[in-house]
Amino acid sequence: MSKTNLMRGVRMWTRSGLLLALTLGAGACKDLLDTVPPDSAPEDKAITTPAGARVALAGAYAALQNGYYYGGTMTHFGDLYSDNAVHTGTFTSYQEAAQHDFFADNSDVTGMWNNIYNAIKRANTLIAKVPNVTGFGAGEQEQILGEAYFLRALHYHNLVKYYGGVPLRLEPVVDPRQIDPLPRATVAEVYTQILADLNQAITLMTNATEPTNHATLGAAHALLARVYLYQGNYPQALAEARTVDGYGYQLAGNYASLFNSDAAVTPENIFTLTFTSNLSQANLLGYYWLSDALDVGAGRYEMAPSQDLIDAYDTTGTDARFLWNIQPDPSGDGYVEGAAYGTKFPTPGGAEDFHVIRYAEVLLIKAEAFARAGTLDSAVATYNLIRERAGLADHVLGADVTTQADVLAAIDHERRLEFAEEGDRFPDLTRDPTRAIALLGLSGPNRLLFPIPQAEIDVAPEITQNPGY
Amino acid sequence: MKLWRRSVLTTPGLALLLALAGASFAGAQQTVRGTVTDSASQRPLSGAMVTIVGANNRAYTTAEGRYEIANVAPGAVNVRAQMIGYAPLVRQVTVIQGSDAELNFSLPIKAVELEEVVAIGYGTVQRDNLATAVSTVSAEDITGQANASADASLQGKAPGVQVIQNAGNPGNAISVRIRGSASITANNQPLYVVDGVPVVSEDLSQLGLGGQGIRAITGLSAEDIASIDVLKDAAAASIYGSRGSNGVVLITTKRGQAGKGTITFNSYIGTQSVSKKLDLLNGPQYLEYMREAASNDGYDPNDYFPTTGANTDWQDQVFRSAPISGAELATAGGSERMRYRVSGNWFDQKGVVISSGYRRIGGRANLDFSASDRLHISTNVAISGERNDRVEADDNLEGIVGNAIAHEPYFPVRQPDGRFTNISDGMAYVNAVDLATHNTTRATTNSVLANVEGRYSVTPSLSLTSRIGVDFYDLTEEQFQSPLVPGSDGAKYGGVAKRGYSNARRYVWDAFGNFDRTFQTRHVLSLTGGTSVEYEKRDNAFLRGELLPDATMKEVTNATNVTQYSGTYAETGLLSFFGRANYTLDEKYLFGLSFRSDGASVFGPDNRYGFFPGGSVAWVASREGFLANNKTITLFKLRSSLGRTGNQAIGDYPYQTLYCSSNYGNEAGYYPCTLGNSRLGWEKTTQLDLGFDVELWNGRAALTFDWYRKRTSDLLLSRPVPGNTGFTSYVDNIGGIQNKGVELSLTAVPIQPSRADGFRLVSTLNLSFNRNRVTALYQDQPFSTGYYDINRVEVGHPLGAFHAYKFLGVDPATGDAIYKDVNGDGQITSADKTFVGNPWPDVTGGLTTTITWKRFDLTGFFQFSKGNDVFNGMRVFSDEGGYNYDNKFADVLHRWRNPGDRTDQPRASFDGTSGARLISSRFIEDGSYLRLQDLTIGYQLPDRWAASIGMANARVYVRGQNVFTSTDYSGYNPEVNSNGSTSNASLATDFYAYPLARTWSFGVQAGW
Repeated sequence: MSKTNLMRGVRMWTRSGLLLALTLGAGACKDLLDTVPPDSAPEDKAITTPAGARVALAGAYAALQNGYYYGGTMTHFGDLYSDNAVHTGTFTSYQEAAQHDFFADNSDVTGMWNNIYNAIKRANTLIAKVPNVTGFGAGEQEQILGEAYFLRALHYHNLVKYYGGVPLRLEPVVDPRQIDPLPRATVAEVYTQILADLNQAITLMTNATEPTNHATLGAAHALLARVYLYQGNYPQALAEARTVDGYGYQLAGNYASLFNSDAAVTPENIFTLTFTSNLSQANLLGYYWLSDALDVGAGRYEMAPSQDLIDAYDTTGTDARFLWNIQPDPSGDGYVEGAAYGTKFPTPGGAEDFHVIRYAEVLLIKAEAFARAGTLDSAVATYNLIRERAGLADHVLGADVTTQADVLAAIDHERRLEFAEEGDRFPDLTRDPTRAIALLGLSGPNRLLFPIPQAEIDVAPEITQNPGY
Repeated sequence: MKLWRRSVLTTPGLALLLALAGASFAGAQQTVRGTVTDSASQRPLSGAMVTIVGANNRAYTTAEGRYEIANVAPGAVNVRAQMIGYAPLVRQVTVIQGSDAELNFSLPIKAVELEEVVAIGYGTVQRDNLATAVSTVSAEDITGQANASADASLQGKAPGVQVIQNAGNPGNAISVRIRGSASITANNQPLYVVDGVPVVSEDLSQLGLGGQGIRAITGLSAEDIASIDVLKDAAAASIYGSRGSNGVVLITTKRGQAGKGTITFNSYIGTQSVSKKLDLLNGPQYLEYMREAASNDGYDPNDYFPTTGANTDWQDQVFRSAPISGAELATAGGSERMRYRVSGNWFDQKGVVISSGYRRIGGRANLDFSASDRLHISTNVAISGERNDRVEADDNLEGIVGNAIAHEPYFPVRQPDGRFTNISDGMAYVNAVDLATHNTTRATTNSVLANVEGRYSVTPSLSLTSRIGVDFYDLTEEQFQSPLVPGSDGAKYGGVAKRGYSNARRYVWDAFGNFDRTFQTRHVLSLTGGTSVEYEKRDNAFLRGELLPDATMKEVTNATNVTQYSGTYAETGLLSFFGRANYTLDEKYLFGLSFRSDGASVFGPDNRYGFFPGGSVAWVASREGFLANNKTITLFKLRSSLGRTGNQAIGDYPYQTLYCSSNYGNEAGYYPCTLGNSRLGWEKTTQLDLGFDVELWNGRAALTFDWYRKRTSDLLLSRPVPGNTGFTSYVDNIGGIQNKGVELSLTAVPIQPSRADGFRLVSTLNLSFNRNRVTALYQDQPFSTGYYDINRVEVGHPLGAFHAYKFLGVDPATGDAIYKDVNGDGQITSADKTFVGNPWPDVTGGLTTTITWKRFDLTGFFQFSKGNDVFNGMRVFSDEGGYNYDNKFADVLHRWRNPGDRTDQPRASFDGTSGARLISSRFIEDGSYLRLQDLTIGYQLPDRWAASIGMANARVYVRGQNVFTSTDYSGYNPEVNSNGSTSNASLATDFYAYPLARTWSFGVQAGW
């Protein structure tokens, strides 16, 4: 290249560079500065079509998988805060649960609160946006909305069980500068909202029992039965349990079959939460109970069955639930606290689905409602179904149990054995505060509720702390 | 030519520059020529630079010391001659039209060598004319350092720059803080600019390995660096606007000079060992302690511990002495038209912890081509490849170092049958040696840093520059967790294979003009103005697979389940306009103004453009009449500057309200995941700097002093919202931080020889005092962060100050720990946590002393830090009374044992009932240290020896790095942070950090 040509080329290059500067400065900068993430959707485009509504509904279910919610903390604490489990690990947040002595800044109590409300946000978003979406097939819009109402009711019931009266956030927040400060509602107000949501869900939904990993009419009635039970409204609980019966659920023939595969399908399933081996959809349930000492692989061994729970079973080894739920150390120490492991969730990988509510619970609700009404023979007949499935002999009224108190105690016993490690024990005990305080050795009634997270009170002074924290 | 000028004139803005420049185009031009010699020997100096002050004309002297500068306008002109190692000289000559001028220089040897030309971003300035706070580290301070990261050489060498190694693993990402930390959530690392191109310097690693990070900046070979200039005050950094708040590190690479070609060869080989071991219990001591712990709490020790066992020093099992080597070959030279420097380098460091290591290979070609007298084109191309064999460390139950510290010493490494001892044998943690033997973690990076620049001199005063730069960075990560290690994650999942890719592609285009002109000999005006466009795209993908058929099958493709996958990209754009005007009157009064206007894609449309101005004034008093001929004070300059800079490093799309994916089973799902904030804007730092430079006796002593106050407001902070909204926070401009400090650099030549090879002693001391204080938070609500919430962010306190229970002592009656009941309510609750330490040093600095005598040279470099505390997180498990099975610090040997014992060490307690487990001031230690970081003895071979082995000159040396450290800190290294280089408020925490190596090496520097 001659010098002249080179010079010309360089001049052209420099000059076009300058022109580029001016054009970029004027026009192209808009594209340069208006970047959008390729892996997220903008708020104004979300939930505007039936497909978008379906996707947001799936997102609302995914919230339940969270490791602070059903996928971990809440389920764990239901046992760890009760007489079912002892702390064997290193997490101080779990240690506080085992000692019934939370600091208000306990990270798991905070995570549980935040993530249940995160789940409520997803339901609220559906409830606010789906009515404006058009183009659904017949009944689908109503089914989606019904499921959202069901989920919101479920979340608020979980909150009221652990924290008492909580703020009732019923609209999604989209602008951080427009957040209504909400004080705590009373327990009664929360229950009113739960019932309203469940009744709305039943009005809207059309799916009877399938798919079982979504809310259905059967699931809504089952949850209603549970809610009425917690309210002590036994006649209504009985009525709802009977309604559930009408949907044709049955106990699974084999207790283990409820838990022994990733996606157990049994006639007992009412509402199961899907988990998968994908780490973003796996639960921490087994991981926290299992130990390296077991063949199934390493777990954290953060908690273990208490001697009290072990002894509650018929340890001669005929109760199918005992054999499934607890395994002794392979070294042969036998069924001893600290050397026996909680094995309800058989692998540390966390792919197993979780039963949010299953037919066995409905049967026990029904049995209790019968017993409370004094219909002891029906009560015994009902909970005997649970005993039979476990491989135990039927109770005979007048021999094994006689009084109403006997029957209620037997139902409580079956409930404990049936749902051990499923997070039911502590909230269930709180239905009888006096007994819970005595049984768990609590310092007083204040310990029947978890603290409101300190971070919540720091940022929302309108929210008052539970007494004693 | 005319065509070109006309087209420029049509461009608005440049017209003014050209109009100013045009003035010089009238009249004929003459030539100035002469010689430059050494004032002592009168020998000619080759390669000295001679410039017309205030103009762009320059020339270099030939081997005979002659120079010639053409095109000099008639009139009185100041001519400057300068050369490294000599004091520059300015002489005036009157050029008469029609006759060339002759001007000779005789340069005196300078006592202290300072870099005379300072890079300031989009231009350079003579140090004499600098009115802002800029520190310079020269090539001599960087070369030969057995260190992966070139910016590590800033440690102790540049006042106001704090360097923290974080951990000792090879190739680790270090933390660099210039004048403290100005941000809580955004980045606190400075902006790195290599040859004008702001480079990718983030940690893009997708495998979290505790405090060990990977930073792109390690790809740069220290041997290629000519100088590092650190822009510290806001007036200097404001030319980089929205990224200037943390200071700017300008790295200039070496270039070829016209003249005879040279070849240089540097090589060293050395060995490293762990500089310190922790003082832990041995097997019998451990058993005695733990058995006592069990007894104290009512257990039968025989149920838990044997009475005797092995006596294994697990630290010895994972540490080793490891080789290190480095080599660089460079050739440089060229003609006036074409100059080159081409180099290749190699660095190989095995880690002192088994199975770790780092290796780099790289090459660089810097070319300068003068197409004509007016057009200069230069290109820089550097490629490098790195391989980093990493080990899990820090916060991980499979950390090699952590497990070696934790292992019960009464277990042997292997059972008699040869298999590794493990959890099934009763050990609390997975065998560290087993892990290191079977598991691998590797990061491989490839990077290309290239730019091409054209500079066109429209007139001798006005040049236009356009530059295109690219920085391509590819990181590949692989991890294999073997199913063969009992109790490990690998065993849990039947083998785990992970594979991740992260790429960054950055494109930078700059166009700017520089105008330098002297009017009437006393007004020197220097103008810079231009525009810059940057675009960056970062891609990443990650896969994790479980359940591999065989331990020899280590890849995701072998996995039965893929349990984690991701892949996405993010884009950011930056559009900027910048300008600078420096005006010097009589070489005495210096005035500077600069600005940058940045538009950034990361901010909301309501607040997208920021304006960052800076100004400086300086007075060179030594050029006033009353000091002009003073033989003592040869330079005295007073400086002041004020300016504003920004910080925008807060993620890619923080202002947008977005839905994220959240799938349920096999149903695709999404949900609202972020609360947007359309008003989100910059963090703004306003900095005032007052300083002075003094030079005595022509450089026998020099002092640079700066006082600064750096106030940062509108901190991008995660603003909490009530959790009952379903969100926990959004990003807003809320907080404030202030850094205030003093820094000084003192260089002295106490012994200055009369001959060039006489005994010479030079010492440089750097001191930095910085006080950091949080001034505003959201509703001034404090929050805690870091391991065990040990770091606190609270108004009125330093960022990340240690906050925990205050340990008062041990109750002589019970042996239980006593803590301060701060609120006096009779019980110890979280409300009793109080401030128990400061992770920030009162003072940091470095002292370099160099002695040269005949052919010998000796350099000692001390660095120190005083007043900083360290949270020794290892004590949470190893000084907690025996609640955990971890081995214990030997301090427990003087524990409380019987009522009446007076000690500060609580009783052993298996259930943790002694209170020793509480995270308290017991675990906060003084991290002050003094370290002999570098000790080098060199010998310049006599020329005939060198010639006999074919070299023109050669130096051999022995170098020790991290030779000794004096500290009260009980961990490996007080210069630690297991939260890593990206951490802002979680500071000074030692959580099983990889120890620091001591290195001894032997090296050769040779030239032809």
